Amino acid sequence: MMEKMIFGRYIPGDSFVHKLDPRSKLVFVFLFIAIVFLANNAVTYAVILAFTLVTILLSRIRLYFLINGLKPILFLLIFTFLLHIFFTKEGDLLWKWQFIEVYEEGLRQGIFISIRFLVLVFVTSILTLTTSPISITDGMEVLLNPFKRFKLPVHELALMMSISLRFIPTLMDETDKILKAQMARGSDISTGSIKERIKAVVPLLIPLFVSAFKRAEDLAVAMEVRGYRGGEGRTRYRQLKWDWRDSLVIVTLGILALLLWWLRS
Amino acid sequence: MNRSKLLLLIEVAIFAGIGLVLDMLSINLWFQGGSISLVMVPIVLMSIRWGLVGGLSTGLIIGILQILAGRAYILYPAQGFLDYFIAFTVVGLAALVRHKVLQARNEQRKGKMITYIVLGAVFGGLFRLITHVIAGVIFFSEAAEGKNVWIYSLVYNGGYMIPSIILTAIVCSIIFVAAPRLIEHRNNV
Repeated sequence: MMEKMIFGRYIPGDSFVHKLDPRSKLVFVFLFIAIVFLANNAVTYAVILAFTLVTILLSRIRLYFLINGLKPILFLLIFTFLLHIFFTKEGDLLWKWQFIEVYEEGLRQGIFISIRFLVLVFVTSILTLTTSPISITDGMEVLLNPFKRFKLPVHELALMMSISLRFIPTLMDETDKILKAQMARGSDISTGSIKERIKAVVPLLIPLFVSAFKRAEDLAVAMEVRGYRGGEGRTRYRQLKWDWRDSLVIVTLGILALLLWWLRS
Repeated sequence: MNRSKLLLLIEVAIFAGIGLVLDMLSINLWFQGGSISLVMVPIVLMSIRWGLVGGLSTGLIIGILQILAGRAYILYPAQGFLDYFIAFTVVGLAALVRHKVLQARNEQRKGKMITYIVLGAVFGGLFRLITHVIAGVIFFSEAAEGKNVWIYSLVYNGGYMIPSIILTAIVCSIIFVAAPRLIEHRNNV
């Protein structure tokens, strides 16, 4: 049952977006989430949609992966679309069937909000599809550095993130191994009543936790004997490089914001 | 950096990883597509084993991992912040029962131990539910102005959170009573 389980959605590639520095992509997504809210009429939404399509083309990500990312929230998207359609009763009456009435304004708002959700999901998906989790962590660490002044343990957080990312595949293998071992002994957590499943979870978790504590201790010893002392003066194995592409992306985003500001009603 | 702090950092990191793995596993085990998962078990474990710092940081790392793994859906800035940076973190508030659980453990009183573990899991879980509900209200309030946004959000989030809380409370109390060494870290190493 673990074969389908893959951590992260990163797809390696060498497109324009893949080559960007994780810092510029993080700043881009962060600002984009705010800028999207400037759109409030057909023209501005069209601009945002076009901008997103260009980003998708530049990332050379197959549409299939993006659509796939929509599945878990499809229900919410449809639900909010319907809420708009049925509850906004402004503008001309477009369609009526018994007690169901659809007004122009409701349809317009429903379409706008759906475009916004779609665009947001696509843009955040492009970040995780084109950037490996460890690069995102490196980028976050650098971007959060100024908050060290407010006692935010940035280095420690980044260290924990990289340890987690390093261990997740190992932990998946381990979970799979224990699950199979327990299945071989006749215990199965994917069938039976709720009570039986909960009972079957216990012999999975205890060995998993015990071996995790063992791994943690081994790693602590290994780090200590190699003289790990914390963030001060540490050098990095993975270097980040900011080049003209990254500056271009941020400038383009600034232009988009100005354009939306100018076109919005 | 002293040994105990280093061990805390590493255990938090690895157990956050376990939390994410258990969260991914849930999709195959429980209701299709639902998020009724064991993700809170490692957070409660670290809260009782290390206290508030251990619990809160395990939750925070799990939340950030969700974003890195592409499992996060950020549709409003405030909703994204609450759903991924705050919701998992507050489960670490289960640490408030830490001393009572350890005390009961030393007194060998299983009943008292179970009571406090359940209390801790429910407490942490309820804070997570409240956070998701507020995030949901932000989400729904634009689509249905003035309508029953609190009800929508409560139904949607309660639908998977309440079973998750019950599951976490049951599993934690079985595991911590069966293997109490899990919740005690050795200070002398």
